[in-house]
Amino acid sequence: MFTLKDLRPGQKACVGSIAVEGLMRRKLMDMGVTPGVEIQVNKTAPFGDPIEVRLRGYSLSLRKKDAENILMVQ
Amino acid sequence: MKYRIALVGNPNSGKTTLFNCLTGSNLYVGNWPGVTVEKKEGNLRDTAKDITLVDLPGIYSLAPYSMDEIVSRNFLLEERPDLIINIIDASNIERNLYLSTQLMELNCPMVGALNMMDVVKKTGVEIDVREMEKIFGYPFIEISAQKETGIDELIKLVEKTVDIKKLKEFPQIFPQEIMTLFNEFDELIQNKYSDVLADYPRLFRIIKLIEKDEEVLLKIHENGDLLKDIYTVRKKIEALSNHDVDSAIADYRYRFITAGISKATQKTKENVIEFQEKLDQVLMNRYAALPIFFLFMFVIYYVSITLVGDITIGGIEWFINDVLMVAVAAGLGSLGAADWIIALINDGIITGVGAVLTFVPQLVVLFIFISILEDSGYMARVAFIMDRIFRHFGLSGKSFIPMVVGLGCSVPGIMATRTLENERERKLTAVLTPFISCGAKMPIYVLMASVFFTKYQTLLVFSLYLVSLTVVFGSGFVLSKTWFKGADSGYLLEIPPLRLPKLRNTATQVWERTKEFIVRAGTIIFAASVVLWFLQSFTPSFQMVDSPDASILAMFGKIIAPIFIPLGFGNWVASVALLTGVAAKEMIISTMSVLLSGQDGSFTVAISQIFTPVSAYSFVIFVLLASPCMAAIATMKKELGNWRDFFFALSYQIGLAYAVSFIVYQVGSRIFV
Repeated sequence: MFTLKDLRPGQKACVGSIAVEGLMRRKLMDMGVTPGVEIQVNKTAPFGDPIEVRLRGYSLSLRKKDAENILMVQ
Repeated sequence: MKYRIALVGNPNSGKTTLFNCLTGSNLYVGNWPGVTVEKKEGNLRDTAKDITLVDLPGIYSLAPYSMDEIVSRNFLLEERPDLIINIIDASNIERNLYLSTQLMELNCPMVGALNMMDVVKKTGVEIDVREMEKIFGYPFIEISAQKETGIDELIKLVEKTVDIKKLKEFPQIFPQEIMTLFNEFDELIQNKYSDVLADYPRLFRIIKLIEKDEEVLLKIHENGDLLKDIYTVRKKIEALSNHDVDSAIADYRYRFITAGISKATQKTKENVIEFQEKLDQVLMNRYAALPIFFLFMFVIYYVSITLVGDITIGGIEWFINDVLMVAVAAGLGSLGAADWIIALINDGIITGVGAVLTFVPQLVVLFIFISILEDSGYMARVAFIMDRIFRHFGLSGKSFIPMVVGLGCSVPGIMATRTLENERERKLTAVLTPFISCGAKMPIYVLMASVFFTKYQTLLVFSLYLVSLTVVFGSGFVLSKTWFKGADSGYLLEIPPLRLPKLRNTATQVWERTKEFIVRAGTIIFAASVVLWFLQSFTPSFQMVDSPDASILAMFGKIIAPIFIPLGFGNWVASVALLTGVAAKEMIISTMSVLLSGQDGSFTVAISQIFTPVSAYSFVIFVLLASPCMAAIATMKKELGNWRDFFFALSYQIGLAYAVSFIVYQVGSRIFV
């Protein structure tokens, strides 16, 4: 079992399930983070957090705190 | 027949640019009833029909989470526009169509504007608009708002579509078994709870009830039976989809979209790594990101404040003092006007309003830079870089943008807080932004530094910026745990591709912001200048004064001066200057120069007689931190929305300024006796 946070820049995987709670969960889904979607990690911010990912043809940035609650599958 | 149509789309989809293309120059800004967000309206150009276009805030979905979303949604539901122009960034078509699938539930005629087609074609993607119409059920047009292509066709399509009486049914997004559940649920609602959200479009009502949408929950008043029925249908959907309801509904929408665009789009060639991507790697490089950011800030600040200031301020002051005032005096004098009228116009109005207008060229340049930063997509990158630091102080990376803007002027800075979704964070940022020293306070620092700290001028100004940053972060830390306590909204930010800003767009934005500034100068500051002049020119018995010392203003000053004794500047001149500074910070210096003009020696000598180095430092700290000028205070009130937060913010800003100056003076005067 691994999460979006475990991916290194350049690596990609598909979303298994989203264990983020509350408002952020809905927002993630609105932004296209839904089960099955492929996400690639682009880069980490200069201070180590947040991260920038690419999905559905655009770039999104989120905090590691949320990324570690997004479970991924190969 | 009058039509009202709405422009709806994601942030960064080029909505503002398209709005300007569609309306030309006939644009006006109005207020939403009851809400503090501004909407823009304009008349559609090149049409015989009377069509008003309403520009709604950029949104990602119709969920009621941010102020922008609530405003857009309420407009669409309550005002029922005759047509929606759904603008879609075609280079990011999948995510942009997500909002479209929600708009399709509103039972409103729609046309789709596929924007940025120039970019899309370059990356080797082709979109079949006829196929798109077949799949999504509404007509699409390929446009480029930036290059102004397809605009005429879009206007024609809008003209044609607003007149179609019978609305074509939108295609079904959800699979049949889910639709069956939806229909059963709807029948239940109509039978059992016929008054629940009766005026909502049918599918929208079904889905929002099932999603337990926050706004909808408020409207059904904890109807226990209904909640139980919602629970039942949610369980059924979860069993069918193997996901929880939120994932399931979002997932079905995205599946419909990906299936649709795989049919309607075609990739003809592989796109190559673009120049933008390389530039991005440099801008967000681990080691270079911060230095590059500070370099940009330095250049912006240096060019607009110093370079432009040096060129323009002298000229404008010369024009105001030596041309305009002389002409007014001569002109009115020859008409036989009384001396006091000439004095009112020259010493009151022209001096007061002129002091503010002097800064217009600098602000224009500053606004140009800020607009370029916003349009290019760099601001989002700065928020991304800074988030790590800001979150420790109850803010997010997005709070940084208003503060950068606030370096020029607090007014646009405070207005920029609207981009923040979370109400708590937005208010907190609006309260903290005035602590960032604005351009108008700069002359005061420079004056005091040149009189008292000749050797350490740069150090003094630099120390003030340190104080200002410390106060921002310290206050953020404390207030986010006390007055503005609440849930962290988290951070989720789209990083748009780097783009070259469009000249016309920059010009429009700069013009709108500058106009707002000038209007304030012409209203608030105009009025304040007149009042000030009267207070300064008349004695309490309404006789014209011989020296300012005997004026009503001096009397006020002498009454409040004792308050400032513990801070080291308990003289009436400084007190009055602080009072007039409320009208505009630029007036602090001009007030002091007017009030001290009766005394012997030059202005700087007079200043050094009423201040000591320590009290001068205490004074600039007070100016830096105490509540901003009237224009900024009014903006703060508007953005905070309620009086309670507003009075708290004012007393916090003044109280903190007093406390810090108190400490500076009391400690400083004991060390440097």
